[in-house]
Amino acid sequence: MMQRVLSVIVIGLLAVVFTRIVGAYVQLDALRPLAASYVTLSPESLTTPNVITGILITYRGLDTLGEVAVLFMVAASLGLLLKPLEGQPKPPKAFQRSDPGEIVHSGKQVMFPMILTFGAYVIVNGHLSAGGGFQGGAIVAAGVMLLLIATPETRLNTTLLSIVESTAGILFVLLGILGIVLAGGFLDPRFLPAGELGGFISAGAIPLISALLGIKVGAELSVVIDKFRT
Amino acid sequence: MSELIGSLFIFSGSVFLFSAGLGLLRMPDAFTRIQTGTKATTMGATLVMIGLAIYHPDWIFKLLLIIYFVYVSNPISSHALARSGHRLGTPMAPGPDALAEIDTRSDAAGDKL
Amino acid sequence: MLELMILLICVCILVSALLAVLLNNLLAAIVSGGLASLFASISFLLLAAPDVAMTEAAIGSGLATFIFLYALRKTGYWENRE
Repeated sequence: MMQRVLSVIVIGLLAVVFTRIVGAYVQLDALRPLAASYVTLSPESLTTPNVITGILITYRGLDTLGEVAVLFMVAASLGLLLKPLEGQPKPPKAFQRSDPGEIVHSGKQVMFPMILTFGAYVIVNGHLSAGGGFQGGAIVAAGVMLLLIATPETRLNTTLLSIVESTAGILFVLLGILGIVLAGGFLDPRFLPAGELGGFISAGAIPLISALLGIKVGAELSVVIDKFRT
Repeated sequence: MSELIGSLFIFSGSVFLFSAGLGLLRMPDAFTRIQTGTKATTMGATLVMIGLAIYHPDWIFKLLLIIYFVYVSNPISSHALARSGHRLGTPMAPGPDALAEIDTRSDAAGDKL
Repeated sequence: MLELMILLICVCILVSALLAVLLNNLLAAIVSGGLASLFASISFLLLAAPDVAMTEAAIGSGLATFIFLYALRKTGYWENRE
């Protein structure tokens, strides 16, 4: 009873806070100076028309490094928590056989390459249109999820995936340090030649960094999903 | 003129999608709901995409890819849902159960799934 | 017109989140959580942020629901049901 009253009071206070924040919202008709500088500098100096990728990778690159570190921490702690202990009874045989049937198996054979191709497309076109490393990595992990549902007896090579993920993380930090040595600051992509705006090979080192992010996130989420299987 | 044809296709697609929602509300049973949901939404999505392709003729290739993907994935996912629902013993509307003799509800050792 | 649609979708997010908290059937509650993520992804699209919409749709209503269902299976929910 007391718990219910307390939770209703907390929800009421949160509602008051949110109403004040939302009520003070005023639609701006021009961008603030920092946002305007990002929007104009991104096509000129970084030659990428996708402002969001430019902000994520260059102007706020340290935040992306923090996100990469948080993802790695989550994957490592899940690996620690879900390690199978010795002496734990295995589940009964009936629940291990969760085979969904032949139609899903055949459908997986058609859909899995399509999903992987689409994920690679989203990763590689990160600097041109909407997309980028994180989005493509999540799509690749969703494809691996389909594989694990359709054939439950596949065994992913988690050692190889962990090695791939760690290598991608190390290369990401190395590219950042190359940015310090050869160009303006950490994760500055201007040390590779910037082509023309909208071309496939353009925007300095942003496609490389985006590809590394995509590989890292895809491998990490696949390992996390695989750890949950019995 | 092409805008009129495109709008007609989009309108008929939305009629199909509305009937999918109506079927979800009115059907008596989980399996019949899955059936109406799948058929009507696939058809409705296809018609909406065709109408959009008439509006913007330079998007045709990407829209055809999306239609193909919807055709491949939507029936397979509803099949997987219905099959697992039958395995769990979801209550069925009164009528003959055609899968009853290929009874997948208990495996070879006799354990109940 | 756009504000009306965004308001409608926010109401849908609230309703599905309330369902996720108040339902007794755990499977339906997990699916309601995934539904709230899906509506949030649609509202991101209406607010002109396609990157965030893609990420939220893939991770929120794909992987998170999947991981919840696996966690539910590990607690022995399906074994003790019948």
